[in-house]
Amino acid sequence: MLEVKDLHVCVEEDPSEKILKGVNLTIGKGEIHAIMGPNGSGKSTLSKVVAGHEAYEVTQGDILFEGESILDLDPDERAHKGLFLAFQYPVEVPGVTNKTLLRQAYNTIAKEQGREELDPIEFEDYINERLNVVDMKPEFLDRSVNAGFSGGEKKRNEIFQMAVLNPKLSFLDETDSGLDIDALKIVANGINQIADEEKSVVMVTHYQRILDYIQPDHVHVMLDGKVVKSGDKDLALKLEEQGYDWLTDLASVSVNGEQN
Amino acid sequence: MAKLKQSNQSFLQDLLSFQGSLNGKSQFLDEVRLKGAEEVKNIPFPHRKDEDWRFISLRDLYTDDYELATRLDVSVPDISEHYLPESEGSRMVFVNGVYSEEHSQAEALPDEVEIGNIADLASEDHPLLKEHLGKYGNFEDDVFSSFNTAFLDDGAFIHVPKGVKVDAPIHLLFVQTEADVNYFATSRCLVLADESSEVTIVEDYIGLGDNKYFNLPVFEVNLEEEAYVKHTKIQRESKEAIHLARTGAFVAKHANYESYTITRGAKLSRNEPRISQRDEEVEFTVDGLVLIDGDQVSDTHSVMDHRFSHAESHQLHKCVINGKAHSVFNGKIFVRKDAQKIDSFQENRNLLLSRKGLVNTKPQLEIFADDVVCTHGATIGQLEEEEMFYLKSRGLNDQQARELLIYAFALETIENISVESVQKLLVDEVHKFTERQLDSQLTA
Ligand SMILES: Nc1ncnc2c1ncn2[C@@H]1O[C@H](COP(=O)(O)OP(=O)(O)O)[C@@H](O)[C@H]1O
Ligand SMILES: [Mg+2]
Repeated sequence: MLEVKDLHVCVEEDPSEKILKGVNLTIGKGEIHAIMGPNGSGKSTLSKVVAGHEAYEVTQGDILFEGESILDLDPDERAHKGLFLAFQYPVEVPGVTNKTLLRQAYNTIAKEQGREELDPIEFEDYINERLNVVDMKPEFLDRSVNAGFSGGEKKRNEIFQMAVLNPKLSFLDETDSGLDIDALKIVANGINQIADEEKSVVMVTHYQRILDYIQPDHVHVMLDGKVVKSGDKDLALKLEEQGYDWLTDLASVSVNGEQN
Repeated sequence: MAKLKQSNQSFLQDLLSFQGSLNGKSQFLDEVRLKGAEEVKNIPFPHRKDEDWRFISLRDLYTDDYELATRLDVSVPDISEHYLPESEGSRMVFVNGVYSEEHSQAEALPDEVEIGNIADLASEDHPLLKEHLGKYGNFEDDVFSSFNTAFLDDGAFIHVPKGVKVDAPIHLLFVQTEADVNYFATSRCLVLADESSEVTIVEDYIGLGDNKYFNLPVFEVNLEEEAYVKHTKIQRESKEAIHLARTGAFVAKHANYESYTITRGAKLSRNEPRISQRDEEVEFTVDGLVLIDGDQVSDTHSVMDHRFSHAESHQLHKCVINGKAHSVFNGKIFVRKDAQKIDSFQENRNLLLSRKGLVNTKPQLEIFADDVVCTHGATIGQLEEEEMFYLKSRGLNDQQARELLIYAFALETIENISVESVQKLLVDEVHKFTERQLDSQLTA
């Protein structure tokens, strides 16, 4: 489904600011992955680069989606192919209602994928049914996108958008942070429902808390712009107990190794 | 042919001979016109060197020849597509400055409401017209309002008597047609809202072609105690037009004047709203929305004059600037010495879509009282990269994402306008604006 190959990324405006330093990652169809790592290790950057953010420049490596490079595609073209990013900090768009955005987004993607667009009435039915995935009230649809939402509501809204747009592969960037336990369960439940529909999900987090509710097939650890270790869900438990310190040597070794 | 010259001389000759030709039609009008002409003689035309005009070039106005619009002989195309459904029975139409009875309708208005053509009412010596005309302009030393007066002829007169609430919005449609020659028009409106009356006015300027003309409208409105006037002005003149407009409003005790000015057309346009408080406890709103591109220039020079205690005033002036367009905002807030408990909000927000667009903004406070809350400010922003990325990551293409954000920016003004078809029209205008924006991007 997704292959990230030796991905090197710097900041577009400041090429000396190297953030990703050779990331390798393979996500199969229907798999759930977790990417963990301390703050500043490059998790959000990886997510945004996969989604096509223009603030970053790929200096080396490639990203393949369903076997084809997507590096030259705009963010919307990647979305049309079935990629989705749930933002760590969802953007507020005052004046644009959730429903307006989602109907336009859904129909644009449908059109690009050669599927039938939904008229307003059909869409109304569809979107109301999808509300159940994250247990949200219909009033929510007429509110401006994320404007004045609490942190938890914003995260829930991201998962709701994912439920509506039906992507093949989703990066969920810290969707679990800022949620109380009830909200966390609702969000986790929503993600599980979507994952059951044969969708691939990558959860980016630095807590293992959400992994109590969502069982990842693979867990990766990022440190200083690289994936330094991959394993199964036991790796997450080990990180919970021991922190990241035991891995830092691993990171510097490989960085040194590269310099040699 | 009238030619505006900075020396005023040759123009005045024309003007005075024109005055002569009108003599006798109505004594009142002639007196008013002569007074206007006298003023024009004594006030210099503005120039770039004048502080208030330094961003604006009036060269076209001074160097080209213009024919008086009302003298043109043109056939009027079908203009019904510009009618507002809410105003089917409450509409006055002026074509090239000439009142068109054929296109106008008043049957939806209550019988008490007086509505008519200024020139007709003047020849009947209409007492209210004679008493009030020219009182609310409040434009001392302004040559363009005097110019308008010097050519006073057809125009809209509306009187809403005490306690009358008019449901249907009154649509004042000023249509400028295509013509073989450059021409000028001097549209005029006088609205009298008596005690506890309510009325909604849509003042609408449309250029049907791409031709060159200038329009110097003057709109006067007087609100007596507890009157409520909602006033939307839409300016969509031809893209070669010059539109220099004055709006004067007097607001009495407990009255509420709510105005929204939309600027979309004209090569050069300037709005000068001047709101003057006449007693304590009033409210007024002077919001604006400007959508300009190409080499359009839009200038707003407003005055909110707080002369008595207890006023609430609001001015949100939003501009979207693309291409090489240039937006000027100069908003003066006066709070006079004994005007306490004033709550005034003023903000000019600019969304700059292109590198060559230009914004000059100057919110200006002059406060001589002490118990006053005034917030004012100006911002210049671009489409946020993060917002664009967010929307595009949801599958919206560039055009859709931009349109949605521009729409969201404009919505705050649009949604306050109470006439639904005007809201729709403006949403359409935003759509057309962003479409053009994409075109110019692709060809750039
Ligand atoms: N646009 C940017 N400009 C400059 N530095 C950036 C930018 N984006 C990310 N960084 C830097 O890259 C590093 C990784 O950031 P990020 O990907 O947000 O980490 P994480 O999500 O793992 O906390 C940080 O040091 C951050 O400051
Ligand atoms: Mg992050």
